[in-house]
Amino acid sequence: MTLHLSIMLWLPLALGVLGLLAPPRLAGRLALVGSGLALAYAITYVVDFDSAAPGLQYVTDETWIGELGISYKLGIDGLNLLLVALTGILWFASTLWANLQDRTHAADRPRLFYFHMALAETAVLGALLAQDLALFVVFFDLMLVPFFFLTGMWGRARRVQATMKLVIYTLVGSLLMLTAAIATGVLAAQGDPALSFAFSDLAQRPLAESSQQWIFLFFAAAFLVKMPAFPLHGWMPDAYRSMPLPVLAVFSGVLSKVAAYGFLRVTLPLFPAASEQFQMLLLLIALASILYGSAMAFTTTEARLILGYSSVAQLGFITLGIFALNAQGAQGAILQAFNHGLVVAPAFFIVALLAARAGGSQDIRDMGGVGMRAPVLASLFLIVAFATLAIPGSSNFVGEFYILLGVFTEKIVIALVAAAGVIMAAFYTLRLFITSVHNRTGARVESRELTLREGLVLVPLVLLIVAIALYPQFGLKRSEATVTAVTAPVATRLAERPGRGLTQYAPLAETARPKAQTR
Amino acid sequence: MTSLKLFAWLTLLFPLAGCVTIALLGRRLPGRGAGYVGTGALVLSFAAAVATLLALLDQGHDHQQVVAVAYDYASSAGVDAELSLLIDPLSVFMILVVSGVSMLIHAYSISYMGSDRGYVRFFAYLNFFVFSMLLLVLAGNFLVLIIGWAFVGAASYLLISYWYRRTTATGAGIKAFVINVLGDVALVLGTFFIFAHVGTLDLLATFEQAREEFAPGDADLTAGVILLVVGAAAKSAQIPLHTWLADAMEGPTPVSALIHAATMVTAGVYLIARMHPLFELAPTAADVAAIIGVLTLLVAGTIAIAVTDLKRVIAYSTMSQIGYMIMGVSAGAYAAGLFHLMTHAFFKALLFMAAGSVIAAMAGQQNLDRMGGFRRAMPFTFGCMVIGGLALAAVPPFSGFFSKDEILLLMGDRGGWYWILYVAGYVGAFITGIYTFRMIFRAFCGEPVPEARALEEGHLHHAEVHTNPASGEVEDTDVGFPGPEHHIAEREPAMKLAMGVLALLAIVGGLVQIPKLTHVIDSFLEPTFEESALYHRELSDGLIGFGLVLGAVVGIAGVAVAYLIWVKNPDIATRMRAGLAPLHRLFVNKWYFDELIDALVTRPALWFGAWAQQTFERVFVNGLLVGGTTGVVRAGSSAVRAAQTGFLRYYALLIVVGMVALSLYFLLNA
Repeated sequence: MTLHLSIMLWLPLALGVLGLLAPPRLAGRLALVGSGLALAYAITYVVDFDSAAPGLQYVTDETWIGELGISYKLGIDGLNLLLVALTGILWFASTLWANLQDRTHAADRPRLFYFHMALAETAVLGALLAQDLALFVVFFDLMLVPFFFLTGMWGRARRVQATMKLVIYTLVGSLLMLTAAIATGVLAAQGDPALSFAFSDLAQRPLAESSQQWIFLFFAAAFLVKMPAFPLHGWMPDAYRSMPLPVLAVFSGVLSKVAAYGFLRVTLPLFPAASEQFQMLLLLIALASILYGSAMAFTTTEARLILGYSSVAQLGFITLGIFALNAQGAQGAILQAFNHGLVVAPAFFIVALLAARAGGSQDIRDMGGVGMRAPVLASLFLIVAFATLAIPGSSNFVGEFYILLGVFTEKIVIALVAAAGVIMAAFYTLRLFITSVHNRTGARVESRELTLREGLVLVPLVLLIVAIALYPQFGLKRSEATVTAVTAPVATRLAERPGRGLTQYAPLAETARPKAQTR
Repeated sequence: MTSLKLFAWLTLLFPLAGCVTIALLGRRLPGRGAGYVGTGALVLSFAAAVATLLALLDQGHDHQQVVAVAYDYASSAGVDAELSLLIDPLSVFMILVVSGVSMLIHAYSISYMGSDRGYVRFFAYLNFFVFSMLLLVLAGNFLVLIIGWAFVGAASYLLISYWYRRTTATGAGIKAFVINVLGDVALVLGTFFIFAHVGTLDLLATFEQAREEFAPGDADLTAGVILLVVGAAAKSAQIPLHTWLADAMEGPTPVSALIHAATMVTAGVYLIARMHPLFELAPTAADVAAIIGVLTLLVAGTIAIAVTDLKRVIAYSTMSQIGYMIMGVSAGAYAAGLFHLMTHAFFKALLFMAAGSVIAAMAGQQNLDRMGGFRRAMPFTFGCMVIGGLALAAVPPFSGFFSKDEILLLMGDRGGWYWILYVAGYVGAFITGIYTFRMIFRAFCGEPVPEARALEEGHLHHAEVHTNPASGEVEDTDVGFPGPEHHIAEREPAMKLAMGVLALLAIVGGLVQIPKLTHVIDSFLEPTFEESALYHRELSDGLIGFGLVLGAVVGIAGVAVAYLIWVKNPDIATRMRAGLAPLHRLFVNKWYFDELIDALVTRPALWFGAWAQQTFERVFVNGLLVGGTTGVVRAGSSAVRAAQTGFLRYYALLIVVGMVALSLYFLLNA
């Protein structure tokens, strides 16, 4: 197998197109093959990846539109490796789910459904792999198209309104980002004849601080809408209510992470001055997302929205880690992005199963008591729930630990307040678990055990959660070199700023670390 | 790997293996198979703990702090988080107590839980609980410690809500869990304060660095250590984070025994003892902990006099006894605090087992008001209860006498304001005697209740309709738990065996450390506390002699008062309840801590959530921000319908047009 990123990138779409031409019965199988191959490629990259190298690996670099300096440049480094893997895993799981449950959505125009799923995977992979700002923007905007159709055509209740909100919000963000991207390229090329959008070139040509400011804000708006972050989450409830389940799993699991990744890939390296300047603003938005998302999650009674608002809070943590602007925070953010995707997708699957057992109701007041007759389902949910609330011992905890530590050394008060989000997470997650699995059986609840088809998707995902919990180093060591290199410039800027959080932070020198006696 | 490290890992891994085995295969095992597998895992674990002890003693005095590293767990960006164990006298002491007592509780549960439909699940949780506690006490760095800490909380949640069809049980479970998570978070933040200065998570390295980095009384260190105290208070049910403990009585009785004796509430005591180099550098924080301990021991004692639920009386007595330990280890009485931890584990497990036996004879009833006269019907249980009670009331020569007195002796020896603790400790001891024997006299003496009379004739009472003792709600019987049959110690050899061993330990356990005579615990733990000045204090003979006499008198006086009030002259109790009505109300309502926390924390949080839900989200997020767009949404609805045919084109066109226009703009300006 040649390690060529273009193959992984376009394979899903190619098979999706093939599915359009094939008989409807085969479309799902073809999409499954496409996402399966992409997953296989992603695993190969994860295994083959050189953790010690901070720079890009497996680079593809072709001129695309020469006159505008746009190149078709792809690459993998510590920032996107885990997210590429996550994309592969979740798309395969969701496509498999759709295939196994084909009574529900895919029966209605399956060829189109799977085509859009495949297109979405290619778009997401493109946004993650792109090493050229213009290419990044194209793929980032392309992501919206398949989800627009998937929600609009296969969605449930009030799908029109949901779709419109989704489109309007993200379109505004996209346009801001587009403007900002073009401005970045053009302003950076001032005095230099060759226009170029490649990240490597842009990083060499820093913008004036005044330009950095507004460009940063435009990008930030686009990313915060996509996450979504408070108070730009207005589109989220309707969209989450109406998206078909496999679509929702990848949307919540991966798309929000692409936005977080955008901060690390685009804004931090290209606009270090603005990132430092607006650090407080972004930290406060993140903090508000954590507290508001948690408060909403523990009062709403719709199971899907509990997960939706908990995602708002979790993305708040990830943003917090990124804008700690140090290696620890960013390490935590990347690991947490991976963890959260890995946890939220099975959580949505489980909630769907519980809703199916509660006569189709999404309301937790109609659920309850399935644990007795469905112990396997209950056990899987328990593991997922504990991982969601980031119990120490889960990889999610390690992510939060790094995030909070990064913020703690930077802005101590924010870390202390954000910690309240951890406690609230314990409450709303357990509330969801208890009201659906424990207590007395709801009036319309039929307790059925997990079927083999459902287990086929859920069990491997849960095993993966357990595996990464035993060895979070697996992710941390792969991102460390790149993260250190990416955060170094802005961290240095911060270090020069007077009056920082805690008195001093003593970086760990190997020599200063006393070893225990008999080690 | 040396044999020492191997044995330590085995101690830890046997319960985990047991848990996984039972979880995966438990349903295939015949009869009580899961119980035997679970207990077997604990027997092996205890054997490995003993082997660890022997291997450690072989090491020689100067090499008794060993770190065993498995692999890099989460080390990057300057954080050194390995999966490591710290094997030293303190952790070995703890694993012996934890695995030993847990082993007996497992054995008891084989019979006690016999008819419960959740039998398999119960033993899987039980093994996981012990694994978590062993991980906590063996942890070699802060991160592993926090993991063990949180797993203990998770396991306790699972077991408290074990009978999850009862909403009272799931409510108690979530309460315990959330308060425990609060403790976890405090522990994490405390770790941050310390890590920011010492730059390592390794415990031994932290202590070494701390002595260089921090001047005594350093503000950051004090903040960090106070956060550790918050963590300890949450786990050890100290004021004001204690409210979960009494509700935790919703779990089956063996779970209560486990939580109270071996695997949970002692964690805070262990934490303070483990972190003693930091506490000694932050004396203010240590004093805060000692004050929390003394308040808890008094408040819990007064509540225990008033409550009428058999298990809750014992629960509040635990709170009170843990108060002694927290006070002790915070004020520098390390060996004494840990000694009391050990003896308490023996007699408290025994008391809960005996209580379980009585509750079984009452067919699940826990109310003391309904009990009475079980003395003749259940002689073995009665004997065990009395032995446990005498040890708890600190009557010589039972084990609790020596351990409690040693804590108080050190308080007296430190002088100054520690005298307040010294005096309060004896007041608490007097109260202990009263509430302990109030419970025993009311359950076992007086006129036999119908259940006791039936049992004397050989019939174990069975309830016609099963009800939840906490709410009176009729149970969901198709579920099969709590099990339809009840098991009492008099008829079950496994229960008898576990209680017999514990009764013996409750009697003789104190002999290992008698002032002036034996120093087993003192000298064994010495390597851990080598650098501590407080550890090596010499007590004056006068203080020792006075303390021993005073302790004996106070303990016996408490028992005598209880005898007077509840056996000799029962109307004193009624008259006192009427005469001291306001005080009685305060105690029965548990000093209104639940109401206070409800008003200060729960309600505001829910209010904020409701406000966000009903007002903010609707008006601001959906109204203002989307308000402008709602119109667009309506207007756009037709566009969406059209979209299914060709919106993609428009969208693509929009992107292209926008991109071209903007490109032109910038190219022209460039």
